[in-house]
Amino acid sequence: MNDTSTPQVEQYLDQLRKRLRGMRAGDVDDILAELRAHIAEKTSAGASVQSTLSALGTPEQLASEYVTDGLLARAELSRSPFRILNSLFHIATFSATGFAALLATVTGYTLGVIFVLGAFAKILHPHTAGLWRIPDGYGVEYSLRMGFANYPGPGREVLGWWIVPLGLVLGYGLIILTTRVAVWGVRKYRASRPAPGAAR
Amino acid sequence: MPPINPGDELAPDKWEAQLRRGCLEMATLAALWDGRSYGLEILRRLESESDLIVNEGTIYPLLTRLKSLGLVNSEWVESDSGHPRKYYSLTFAGRTRAREMAETWKKFSSSMSKLLAPLAKEGPR
Repeated sequence: MNDTSTPQVEQYLDQLRKRLRGMRAGDVDDILAELRAHIAEKTSAGASVQSTLSALGTPEQLASEYVTDGLLARAELSRSPFRILNSLFHIATFSATGFAALLATVTGYTLGVIFVLGAFAKILHPHTAGLWRIPDGYGVEYSLRMGFANYPGPGREVLGWWIVPLGLVLGYGLIILTTRVAVWGVRKYRASRPAPGAAR
Repeated sequence: MPPINPGDELAPDKWEAQLRRGCLEMATLAALWDGRSYGLEILRRLESESDLIVNEGTIYPLLTRLKSLGLVNSEWVESDSGHPRKYYSLTFAGRTRAREMAETWKKFSSSMSKLLAPLAKEGPR
């Protein structure tokens, strides 16, 4: 295998490895070994290193194929927010739209978690947690409290125990919705890239 | 009628590329039906036995994805050429899925052919 490890190939694979961070180390090694074998096969059949590498695409393009393909596969299997965020984070490093999608997804998940926490906080701190309506001299302020602060004197708690089912439904709903939208966005992103079979 | 932009979904290149893209998973599973094969061999087979022209940068991520979905397995095998090759083979789930896809394709293409038959006869106006 050493005959194909030219500096050009090593540089290409190094750049690819950097962009595949976040995938399991064993998987990355396997991917790189497979591409190394591909390059060896092509060059020993007479192709130049240059043309072989450019047929694979830039390390950025290839990494994004792996990361988004991996994201879809994993999202289809588990739909775990952690995995989706992890993969979106990688797309965000080479695409502005990906960055926006990452921000939106983080916001969606954060709000979802806050709503769920609000529901649990009510159970732990029945008297101080909840959605409070507090007059503050100028007008009225709404504040979602987890119950660690003091009893907000002039305020009035709005939802009562309703915050438990509402928080759970809204929170989990938002988390599921965010996951759906993120997976949909990644599918659109995949479809928007040059398709296989398009002009090379 | 406004002209079709090159970026539109119905622009000839784009439409055809979408159509091919949708077939790629099925074609790759079909290429493994008769036994194990490695990336470059699958690629050549798709090019010679179907109209699919697949980028080299597309087939490897696709195979990785099929593997993480449990449709194929992979193993490293030493070859006469001096470097090991990563061979893929269909799992039981992969065989089942491939057969389902083939059936869907057959039904779909025969009814679509019926619908399209008059167009092929008359030719373009």
